[in-house]
Amino acid sequence: MSAEPGDGAQHGKLSELFDRSVAADAEAIATVVDTISQTLVQLGVPEQKRFEIALAAQEALANAVVHGCGNDPTKQVRCQLQADPQGRILICVTDPGPGFSEDHVPDPKQQERMYADHGRGVYLIRQLMDEVRFERPGNEIRMWKY
Amino acid sequence: MDINVRMRSQVQVIQLRGALRMGPAVDALRQTLEELIANGDTRIVMNLSEVPMVDSSAIGLLVRFLAMIKEKGGNLKLAQPSKFAVQTLRLVGLLKLFETFESDEAAVESFA
Repeated sequence: MSAEPGDGAQHGKLSELFDRSVAADAEAIATVVDTISQTLVQLGVPEQKRFEIALAAQEALANAVVHGCGNDPTKQVRCQLQADPQGRILICVTDPGPGFSEDHVPDPKQQERMYADHGRGVYLIRQLMDEVRFERPGNEIRMWKY
Repeated sequence: MDINVRMRSQVQVIQLRGALRMGPAVDALRQTLEELIANGDTRIVMNLSEVPMVDSSAIGLLVRFLAMIKEKGGNLKLAQPSKFAVQTLRLVGLLKLFETFESDEAAVESFA
């Protein structure tokens, strides 16, 4: 249980399903994402929804590793998975970085960015999840799937 | 991530199995593509039927190599992309950049 007052009022009491801090490392976050997927299977979450949540978690954790931790595996990222009584899923990813401004996220579907090799993670998260919020100063992302 | 490369009718067919995401999977695919291009192989089919996840770092890799290979007169085509690979590429507006086929054979024959 670590819901904020706002989350609680809007979504009801949250049950914690998963809370793990891991090294800021690609293989470590892959394990976290796979564990989230397995947890969602156990909850009976449909395949399509599992895919969307898992990919959003992968993107959020990857951003935390790369931008929040500078690919430094001595730092840690935290991932929490919670559900409300209606079965809506909340994922929170936190990193120790300085955060970032959403205003600086470009639209990857712009023609000039078509062949860019980065810059699609936050866009994908927004497409996959129903509600996405960055907590100040931007080093925690809270994302809901209804 | 398992990567298996075989030559069919002068086309390199890459069979992938597993999540294609940041870390060892993307690094291994990058190395595979670099080696193929270094050998002058720019007619490439990538089978994504057993790839349940394609993250944004993998997408960046695919479009970067697509551009590089096309500059060299070749092409990188997709065979049997999983429904989630298709959904992800469509979400970021890049599905239209890739020629996709329902089988390796059809993709290979399209180079003829």
